[in-house]
Amino acid sequence: MAENDEKAAEAAPKKDGRPAISRRALCVGLGGTAALVGLGAVRYAGSAPLVRPPGGQDEDALVSACIRCEKCYEVCPRGVIAPAHLEDGLLNMRTPVMDFSANWCDWCTEENGGEPLCVASCPTEALKPGSTPETGVLGLAELNQDLCLAYRLIGCRFCYDACEYEAMALDENNRPYVLNDACNGCGACESVCVSLQNGSISAGATERAIVVRPLEA
Amino acid sequence: MNTKRLRTIIPLAVIAVVAVGFATHVGVGTLSAIGWQDISLLCPLGALMTMIATKTMIPRAVISVVIAIALILLFARAFCGWVCPVPVVSKIRGIFSKKTSNTDMTGTGVLPADENPLVKAAVADGAGAAEAAAEPAPLSADEQAALKGCGSKAGCSSCAEKRAALDSRHVILGGSLLSAAVFGFPVFCLICPIGLTFATIVLVMRLFAFGDVAWGVILVPVLLLAEVVFFRKWCSTFCPISALMSLIGKANRTFVPVVNDAKCRETVEGASCEVCAAVCPQGINVRHPEAGMSFSECTKCRACVEACPTQAIKMPFLPQKVQGASTVVVEDEDAVTAS
Repeated sequence: MAENDEKAAEAAPKKDGRPAISRRALCVGLGGTAALVGLGAVRYAGSAPLVRPPGGQDEDALVSACIRCEKCYEVCPRGVIAPAHLEDGLLNMRTPVMDFSANWCDWCTEENGGEPLCVASCPTEALKPGSTPETGVLGLAELNQDLCLAYRLIGCRFCYDACEYEAMALDENNRPYVLNDACNGCGACESVCVSLQNGSISAGATERAIVVRPLEA
Repeated sequence: MNTKRLRTIIPLAVIAVVAVGFATHVGVGTLSAIGWQDISLLCPLGALMTMIATKTMIPRAVISVVIAIALILLFARAFCGWVCPVPVVSKIRGIFSKKTSNTDMTGTGVLPADENPLVKAAVADGAGAAEAAAEPAPLSADEQAALKGCGSKAGCSSCAEKRAALDSRHVILGGSLLSAAVFGFPVFCLICPIGLTFATIVLVMRLFAFGDVAWGVILVPVLLLAEVVFFRKWCSTFCPISALMSLIGKANRTFVPVVNDAKCRETVEGASCEVCAAVCPQGINVRHPEAGMSFSECTKCRACVEACPTQAIKMPFLPQKVQGASTVVVEDEDAVTAS
């Protein structure tokens, strides 16, 4: 709408013969536009899917609507929403991703009666309303048996105890495993996993033994 | 407190409020979507771009655009002069160059400061500038004649309108909307210096609060500094938000500076003064509007009001009626003769 008005104004010189825009200004403007178009091409650079806040699972829709206003990570009462890093791609930088290092997401059941504050505060609906712990799936917990203390028969079951959605079970040796169909990616298991702190056992590990992975698109 | 200092303090206060809000999770947002909890006033450009990119009408974005248009109709580009953090960030340029300029980045300025004797006088003399500017070069007969024709309202034939209706910002505004449509995401948001200012603060706060170490902590401020240091006239040549405001601001009729002919040195003494034009960061010539930029560029910074040696410029809420003005004239003539 505004765009069309402007193109029309650019094309048509004013009646009194005065140009609507000077040649120099037009060149500078077109240069800036070219830079924006070049930057826009990062859309096609390809980026790996990320674990997003509730309602942000459609990557294309989220990237289209997000204006990087940073409101979702401000309002999150548990501080589990973080800005995506440059390493996640220029396109994703400063868009919201989940960070389960210290806490997890319960769709604000405790804090706001089950209506996620991030979704409520998102002014552009990049996080779509309607996601609940039952219907929304942020990702899928993945347990790495090489790093997991329980698989060294230490008897650790923090993740199993933390799971509120009955998405984890114990095998005959009391080793936890993930029930993929029940997991909604809330991150509770990841937030309590102690494998990384326990450096003497999991030397060389760069992430916890149980980590929420994005769903493959 | 003078307005120049106030115009630095207010953006810094906005930054402080945003930072405190971020630390306390109260949900004030940043200038991209400022508000309270789930009530946000979106950046009008961001709102337009996101609606174009997603090809949907987003209720909060539509409401934000309407409110933003109303605010721009009321205050023109006052956001640029009073709230936007970018001109304040750009003061960092002072570290790299000692040269002072009469533009505060928000505008084009008329003449470079070192070519403009009136600005030199104003700078030398502080805000007043009255005495220093009181002895301008004698006017030639032609100039005298031209001045006589320059009434406050009448058009001035000698000052042919040379400025174009659009400039590079407006093309970039079109480019921003076009790139959002083509690539399906708000491309300009990636490099918007207002967004980058708040991103810098948020990233630095996260660095210290959570040990969130990322390249962005370096890249974001570097990009921001590159924009304001290397593109010295970002606001007047590149900023599409400024372009949007200047387009809508063409319909602004409130808080427009007006010259009181009974006080202005040009009409009272027939002398050339031009201090108001010289101090305007936007290059607006209040005395001879045809000779400068359009009033739609006005950031309501009050530089002209404060610099006028005879206090002839006011910024009334509404343009005063002619009858009202004439009574003012009588009073002022008394005051002039008395002094």
